[in-house]
Amino acid sequence: MMKDFIPYISISLNETINSLSFFYPEFALGLGFLLVILSDLFFAKKFPQLPAFVALLSTLFAGVLSFNMLKQSPVQLFGGMIVQDHLSTLFKLIFCFISILFVLFVRYHKDLQSSNKGTGDLFSILMAVQLGLNLMVMSENLLMVYLSLEMVSVGSYLMVGYLSNSPKQSEAAMKYALFGAVCSAFMLYGMSLIYSFSGSLDLFSAQFVSFLSTTPFFSWGPALIMMLIGVAFKLSLVPFHFWAPDVYQGAPTPVTAFLSTAPKIAGFGILIRLLAPFQPLSLSGIDNSMFSLTGVLAVTAIASMIVGNFGAIWQNNVKRMLAYSSIGHTGFMLMGLFIFSVSGFKAIVFYMVIYSIMNMAAFMIVDEVEEKTGKQDIDEYKGLGKSFSLLMIAMVVVLVSLTGLPPTAGFTAKFLIFSAAIEAYNSSGSGLIMTLIIVGALSTVVSLFYYFRIPLNAFLRKSDDPIIAFKNSPKSYISMFLVFLLLFFIIFPSAILGHL
Amino acid sequence: MIPLSHFMIISAALFCIGLFAVLTKRNAIQILIGIEFMINAAILNFVAAGRFDRVAGGGQMFALFAIVLAAAGVAVALAIILNVYKHFRTINPDKIDTLKN
Repeated sequence: MMKDFIPYISISLNETINSLSFFYPEFALGLGFLLVILSDLFFAKKFPQLPAFVALLSTLFAGVLSFNMLKQSPVQLFGGMIVQDHLSTLFKLIFCFISILFVLFVRYHKDLQSSNKGTGDLFSILMAVQLGLNLMVMSENLLMVYLSLEMVSVGSYLMVGYLSNSPKQSEAAMKYALFGAVCSAFMLYGMSLIYSFSGSLDLFSAQFVSFLSTTPFFSWGPALIMMLIGVAFKLSLVPFHFWAPDVYQGAPTPVTAFLSTAPKIAGFGILIRLLAPFQPLSLSGIDNSMFSLTGVLAVTAIASMIVGNFGAIWQNNVKRMLAYSSIGHTGFMLMGLFIFSVSGFKAIVFYMVIYSIMNMAAFMIVDEVEEKTGKQDIDEYKGLGKSFSLLMIAMVVVLVSLTGLPPTAGFTAKFLIFSAAIEAYNSSGSGLIMTLIIVGALSTVVSLFYYFRIPLNAFLRKSDDPIIAFKNSPKSYISMFLVFLLLFFIIFPSAILGHL
Repeated sequence: MIPLSHFMIISAALFCIGLFAVLTKRNAIQILIGIEFMINAAILNFVAAGRFDRVAGGGQMFALFAIVLAAAGVAVALAIILNVYKHFRTINPDKIDTLKN
């Protein structure tokens, strides 16, 4: 038995050694993880900001290394466990961008800075989570999908409950951890069923594809849907969105900003990979029964847009409102996935870049207001336009962008997704996709109502509180820089699109 | 030789028991036990199906990783539940609802 494997050992060793040279960004993150822990252990007393600095540096380093791989042709690494291609490199660059913003956000977040726990552990968790995110978008084997998803999940549970100084935060962490564990158990069971049916874990192996094309959707569909539940949890798609508002409200704001962007984007990366082997089937018409994959995805996208946007109207807490709006945005992004082609992916990646800029900026401004005045509810924003004039103008630009109106990059992003969806409709003529486009357009209109409640309160309603002019902190300058980016990318979208 | 289908039936039963516990129990730790049942159902499937995949050994390998990750997940969840108990003096998820409008 063992003898059969001996000839394979040298082959697989060589393959592993050759793969290492494509794995530099992940090495940088792994090294960063260790260095952050060491710097926190030995130098935290003398240089309290050293862990943040090390985390920033290794993320930047990983970003530069990934940028160099942008022109790389696709290669399979480590015996087909992961694949390094253009799309995954783009995703990695987005994660680096988000992580850098997260580190800066934490650096200027009062609660986290003044906590006696320090922020060193948070940054080491961040490095591990970012490594998981990178692996998520590269994985093409069910084992890697599960491993990387859990790596991100366990890290995010810890991040949400990091301070646990208030009942709200520990409640949010518990809800997130329990809900997440159930969803990942579903995913694991779905994977085990798919593995028992097909006998292969490799998503692109001949065995896997031939199994799919010879077996009816009815038999592998439920298993696949179970598997997608784990991803839907990360994406906070309806009906697995219940955790989102509670966690967004309870978690420290920098963590909320991180969770609403990076794991979601990675979820899309993994969705693209998971669906790729199934896609030829739906194109060739094998899967045009009532219960089809496209149908399931379209219905979740529609439900997410409706629940997200209508749910947001009734929210008074700003973070809860942003949580519901991000559910709506996820449903919208899912629309770009229906055209399973380069133009659809381009639209999604562009949308993700803009979405992460918008969300980061929105949460930074909300956090700034909360830190200075303690106000968390939209009703309480009355008269804030006078005390935070510049910041509130920045907020209006962000909200205009979130709605998807010109002159902000949110418009370009929405436009690209809509054109991808219309392209999908033209090639397939499916009524479901038409419904999706109509719901997408309507939900954009609905989103006006709740987004514009903030400027309405801030600028048009008067408050009885005395007007205090607050000094702008570094955090508000970062958010203003992000707002500048939003205005910049509508004039020069090619700055992003040129790299896609 | 026991056929694969018997293993799959048992694992399906395990999964359902776990899901039932998750949905009905009013104690966070009992919910965790239910989740553990669900994960073990999947692991049983992997090991049973791994017999037909001798060369790659994917099923066995997956089972090992799943066991380790389940332990890591439970460790984190227990730490979080301990924190919750400190603040609320209860770990019944139904009674913990401060996060609302």
